[in-house]
Amino acid sequence: MSDTTSTKVEPVMMDHMVSLTYVEDLPPNTVRFAEALVEGRILGQRCPVCARVFIPPKDYCPLDVVELTPDNDVEVADTGVVTNFTIVAPVRYYGQTKTEPFVYASVLLDGASGTLGGQDVSGIPADKVHAGLRVRAAWKPQSERSAEGQSARGWGSVAGCISSFEPTGEPDAPREAYEEHTI
Amino acid sequence: MPATDIAIIGWSQTPSVERSALTEVQLCLKANLAAVAAAGIDRHDIGFTCAGSCDYLTGGPFAFVANLDAAGAWPPISESHVEMDGAWALYEAWVRLQHGDIDLALVFGSGKSSPSNPTELYPQQLDPYYLEPLGLDPDSIAALQARALLDSGKATERAFAEVAARSRRSAKSNPNAQLSGDTDADTLLAGGYVRAPLRSHDLPVYSDGAAAIVLATADRARQLVEHPVFIRGIAHRIEVHQPGSRDLTTSPSTTGAARAAGHNGQAIDVAELSAAYTPQELILRESLGLDDKVTVNPSGGPLTANPVMATGLVRIIEAAQRVADGSAHRALAHATNGQGLQHNLVCILEGEQ
Amino acid sequence: MAQPSAIIGFGQTKHAKARADLSMIGLCREAAVRALEDAGLTWQDIDAVVIGKAPDAFEGVMQPELFLADALGAAGKPMLRVHTAGSVGGSTVIVASHLIESGIHERVLAVAWEKQSEGNAQWGLAGGRSGGIGAGGAFAPYIRSYIERTKAPDYIGWQVAVKDRLNALKNPYAHLQLADISIEKVKESPMLWDPLHFLESCPSSDGAAAVVIASEAAAKKAPRPPAWILATAVRSEPSTFPGRDAVRPQGGVDCAHDVYKQAGITNPREQIDVAELYVPFSWYEPMWLEGHDIAGPGEGWQMVDHGDTEITGSFPVNPSGGVLSSNPIGASGMLRLAEAANQVRGQAGAHQVDGAKVSLGQAYGGNAQYFAMAVFSSTLDRVGG
Repeated sequence: MSDTTSTKVEPVMMDHMVSLTYVEDLPPNTVRFAEALVEGRILGQRCPVCARVFIPPKDYCPLDVVELTPDNDVEVADTGVVTNFTIVAPVRYYGQTKTEPFVYASVLLDGASGTLGGQDVSGIPADKVHAGLRVRAAWKPQSERSAEGQSARGWGSVAGCISSFEPTGEPDAPREAYEEHTI
Repeated sequence: MPATDIAIIGWSQTPSVERSALTEVQLCLKANLAAVAAAGIDRHDIGFTCAGSCDYLTGGPFAFVANLDAAGAWPPISESHVEMDGAWALYEAWVRLQHGDIDLALVFGSGKSSPSNPTELYPQQLDPYYLEPLGLDPDSIAALQARALLDSGKATERAFAEVAARSRRSAKSNPNAQLSGDTDADTLLAGGYVRAPLRSHDLPVYSDGAAAIVLATADRARQLVEHPVFIRGIAHRIEVHQPGSRDLTTSPSTTGAARAAGHNGQAIDVAELSAAYTPQELILRESLGLDDKVTVNPSGGPLTANPVMATGLVRIIEAAQRVADGSAHRALAHATNGQGLQHNLVCILEGEQ
Repeated sequence: MAQPSAIIGFGQTKHAKARADLSMIGLCREAAVRALEDAGLTWQDIDAVVIGKAPDAFEGVMQPELFLADALGAAGKPMLRVHTAGSVGGSTVIVASHLIESGIHERVLAVAWEKQSEGNAQWGLAGGRSGGIGAGGAFAPYIRSYIERTKAPDYIGWQVAVKDRLNALKNPYAHLQLADISIEKVKESPMLWDPLHFLESCPSSDGAAAVVIASEAAAKKAPRPPAWILATAVRSEPSTFPGRDAVRPQGGVDCAHDVYKQAGITNPREQIDVAELYVPFSWYEPMWLEGHDIAGPGEGWQMVDHGDTEITGSFPVNPSGGVLSSNPIGASGMLRLAEAANQVRGQAGAHQVDGAKVSLGQAYGGNAQYFAMAVFSSTLDRVGG
């Protein structure tokens, strides 16, 4: 049996594109989150057992393994602090629309226990983005807001309503304020 | 052969529905919470957790990761996942419990079929060079199997319809069934073909759902519940993939798995079979040597409730339920993986001797 | 009770950006045939087959083990398909070992693979959406946090990147063969995910690995020395939750302590002779040294700085070249465990660490949330007596 890695025969290559369509309903927690977002409010959900405020609401706490309800919803501020970030050089692949390096930051909103991941930070050069930066949401105009980007899976998205976060101009938050939230 | 007896001590399934408003994770959470409660255990005592699901069904790479939220994974747990029906997650946990260092395991299976179209999705499960490009959908493979069975003289279209009618009637007493009703073979046979020789009643429903089971070693099981359901044997076998390379009218892997699971002619009271297509029930009955005295799919089976990736685990639950409530002494549960009965698992369940 | 098990055969493909000379079947068989030959066995001797790989979307085939069953000798036998994201190669070995340790089978073939060139892994890692950050994008912030916590100097990552590629030159199967790798080249390579440079990142590879795991009785008949599996453990934790330490995940700490305890290891730094750790981005070497309590807090990067993790050092890490040199995602975890096993079998060829008797193999996956670890030994005895 030959196990050579060189070949004398040209392999036949076939490009086979497959398209699969998935139509998903948004679960009740995501519907509540999206509706509030379009109204300019950010919803989190507090677990009555551990008091963590998850954002967006999941209708459960994965740590205490309990189901949560709309009664556990709480509003969080649209201001917060960058806890961590990277700058991603986009790779070309099917469906990719990014062409320039982009900021990918985690933002801990005031009142939330968990961060909002994958946020753009604007109004500041990318190389000036740093952990501790105080930011506020740059909301899209009301007429442009939508539930775009929400899905039944994943971590929830603010992309349809908030285009980025921008510095508030406040002094940086002290490390202790966000140290536990470096994701 | 392993020496450790393992028992099923708790279980739960979400009702099978055509379309759930909840996410797969939320469905898993409900099933897991209820199964753990039914077993009367503290989730922190669970020594191993195993899940079964399919990324392609859920609709994204790494989709299974989200289900970990439903597994109580904090503090971190000893946990694994198979890209298979939860019945194989149960098999993996059963193996793990043989080591003797842990005495409780949680297994779950889940899937939402509603977001996708089976005709579009399942060809992706086939040989990518020779079969997938044909767009061969599962109803067509099942139809080829049905045709082979009819041509062999081993069955008739009426026999197919009788399976469907009986299944729907049985499902009337199953609160978790998606489809049920009073009907008969004549009524069903009046319908047109969907994939000749199969009519719509010969095809499975597709459901959104999740199911979970708690396993315990024998001694622990007896401490916890009054009627542990013992796994007397469990085994599985796979066959070659190409439908054209197999005799589709028989299921030798089911026969082999059953024998390896210790089924050698003893009376079976109840058999829950993962026959998603009516002809497959007839094939499986023959391969398992089940005569007319055996009650097959009292739950209604996958023709009436089919949460893909949990369907096999649900068969085990339905069989266990009947052993636990005394309506069956010895039950057989069957799960299948792939199409046209390519891969089959058999589990023999019994109450305390 | 768990019975002893051992790796008695290991095979792998020549890993490459694209193995266009082989189909997926051929890729898996190249590794499986080599593993069987190493074990002195034929397909007929195998009782069960366990297949592992990462997301199926990487190749565009849903549950490819179904069509691979024929080619991997599984027809008529039990077959399992494990999927635990990046750790899958490791957990596949562990699932296979359970089948032996439970006394159900005598010889199990485990195969792990990825043929990424046939799909698009970046698309897959992005969940099929635009704006994907890749695996590096997910881990770069954790690396940033590690550097901040420990005040590690910036060259540590570059040093690991050079070390692993130089080790790979001793491994004919490794994908990257970068004879001219240097600190300058790494430092000057494009920044992909600040602070990770291109040359600090793993390649995307086609590749497969296979091992034969056997019972004590079967291992004693093997033609080459077995690697006794003294310990295995897996741990999982949720991807993200408020207050999670993703830099030093609790699951990684717990998994390590589980295998150390099983193996009788009380001082991993001294009692383990060599480690194969899943390091897809350079900084994960010091992070895992600390994350598995081999080094104390802030001491992992010092081990790197002192040259301890060089192949000639006091705690060699990734003598095979590691994930930084070959990354067929589904196979990488198995390559770590199997390369570690091969060290104690004395079968590692040019990248053999002299006198290795006890080794550690580790794989991780997902959002640094899945861990699969094993300790191998040249003898059946627990470490430390």
